[in-house]
Amino acid sequence: MAKFIDVRNLTKRYGNYLALNDVSLEVAEGEFLALLGPSGCGKTTLLRLIAGFIDTSDGEISIDGRSMRDLPPNRRPVNTVFQNYALFPHMTVAENVAYGPRRNGESRKSAATLAADSLSTVGMLEFKARYPTQLSGGQQQRVALARAIANRPKVLLLDEPLGALDLKLRKQMQIELKTLQKSLGITFIFVTHDQEEALVMADRIAVMDAGRIVQIGGGEDIYHTPATRYVADFIGDANLVACEVAADRTLRATDSGVTLSVPHAADAGSKVTYLVRPEAILVSANAPEVSADRTVLKAVVTDKVFIGNALRIYVETGGLTLVSQIPSSSRAAEFNRGQTVHVSWHRDNGQVLAR
Amino acid sequence: MRIRNLWALILIALPLAFMVIFFLIPFLVTVVASFHDADGAWTLANYKKIFADSYYPGIFFTTFKLSLIATVVSFLIGYPIAYYIVNMVKSRGIRRLCYVLVIMPLFTSNIVRSFGWLILLGRQGLVNQTLVALGIIDRPMPILFTETAIVIGLAYILVPFMVLTISSVLQTIDRSLVEASLDLGSPRLSTFFHITLPLSLPGVIAGSLIVFTLAVSAYVVPAIMSGGRVVVMAMPIFDNYTALFDFNFGAALAVGLLVITLILIALYLLFIERGGARRIARQS
Repeated sequence: MAKFIDVRNLTKRYGNYLALNDVSLEVAEGEFLALLGPSGCGKTTLLRLIAGFIDTSDGEISIDGRSMRDLPPNRRPVNTVFQNYALFPHMTVAENVAYGPRRNGESRKSAATLAADSLSTVGMLEFKARYPTQLSGGQQQRVALARAIANRPKVLLLDEPLGALDLKLRKQMQIELKTLQKSLGITFIFVTHDQEEALVMADRIAVMDAGRIVQIGGGEDIYHTPATRYVADFIGDANLVACEVAADRTLRATDSGVTLSVPHAADAGSKVTYLVRPEAILVSANAPEVSADRTVLKAVVTDKVFIGNALRIYVETGGLTLVSQIPSSSRAAEFNRGQTVHVSWHRDNGQVLAR
Repeated sequence: MRIRNLWALILIALPLAFMVIFFLIPFLVTVVASFHDADGAWTLANYKKIFADSYYPGIFFTTFKLSLIATVVSFLIGYPIAYYIVNMVKSRGIRRLCYVLVIMPLFTSNIVRSFGWLILLGRQGLVNQTLVALGIIDRPMPILFTETAIVIGLAYILVPFMVLTISSVLQTIDRSLVEASLDLGSPRLSTFFHITLPLSLPGVIAGSLIVFTLAVSAYVVPAIMSGGRVVVMAMPIFDNYTALFDFNFGAALAVGLLVITLILIALYLLFIERGGARRIARQS
């Protein structure tokens, strides 16, 4: 796919603080990209640089083959949905949405038509005469979205737009946003700290840490083959075991000394992190059949946590704690604290990460 | 609960008592006096005298005209200063310093300040000398003892009030609203007129009300800056009380000034309410 948004070696410094450190990124036209990371990782900085609210210290942004250098925000082909919505309090919903087209030279009449189109796209047409303060959070969110798409931008930037909504509404909006994005064909760049939100909505996820993109790829790729320990920890739940390679070229947990009998072709003594996702770990009362490609450990159940659709079972063996996640309908749900069980996982489900 | 109510009552009663003793009672005394003649009989003669000929109406007109000009000038000077302090000054310390500089004129006495202006605005004063030196005018022009001098003197002390009220409102405007406007394709200047200015109107309204009422009641500045050649309402009121000892007529003039000022303010607020603000905010 042709690169539609091309970010090259982008750097942003605030005094000595490096908010964004040599970030390069390509986004295809019509793609839904999520920038995912904890607060302070530089995701919002990257978004604001693309929008043009702040100046780059170094590097280059181009959109649709056109350099954004020295272009003020009002002349960029992007629009933003702000975290706090930033609706103009002295204008009605209709006026808010018509503001963009109006400032871009549309006549009063055609701006009103465009605004009505946008408002009906998000299902807010009936509220057009209201003022923003007369709307609920979710309604304001929709109006902010309508306002941002009224200009028919090539790129829509969304800065944690669902952060202020309650869980149920947020889940509903995730699906709606995704559908809307596909039907409009606008490229979305979506900033979030919520990994689930990123997984649900995005075509690709860029995981950021300390001003850098540490991994970029599809949700499944990132979940199943995280590039680093940080990514594995950030996306989904993970058993991350600090290991070192024993003399027989298998992994041994550093802290507890438990042998994982996972072969690894690194030099003996090198330190790595072993990742196995909780849902990959099976718990059974009887020892499973011995198989060359399974790791089996005898362990004691230390805790059981019911989280609705699933059950987390914490087990301990020789000082090593692991967590397994099983469907709450599973028979294994009958295990009790203190019970001795066997935990096992297929070696394909485990992954060795550099420390 | 009872005790808390008692405290609330005391806390309300104190300022209320203050207002009654030092404002309401003197005010009522003045109003009553304005309806009496020198012998203490009820009369409307004092008010009839105000409108007997064009002398006092003329003074009223001058007073309100100069106050209005001073308010507009204070706004035109004060708004950019407030905008600059709130939006351009990044450092908190420097911002505080700016506020101190703005209210600096209020630290000096009214009289000293006005005499300072006399020196600056005189025929051989700094202003005229500079203008002549720059070749803007051929010879010194008369500024002192004119209406212009009064406006300069008034605006000088009233700008701080405008700056403080406007900047307090400007501070509350969310930066992301300005960003949203830029983002939607509105250039900086258009963003200012469509977003920042309409949202700061409450500050402009409050500031102009304060400045206008202060200008209407100003005595020292007009008296000194005009050298008595321009008469504003505060002067005959002062003269009637202190020189002519005609308390009743002085009171009528004072009440007249108050009533007309209140009517003008009411009209102004009515205009704002009726969509003056809305019209400015409207996307045109």
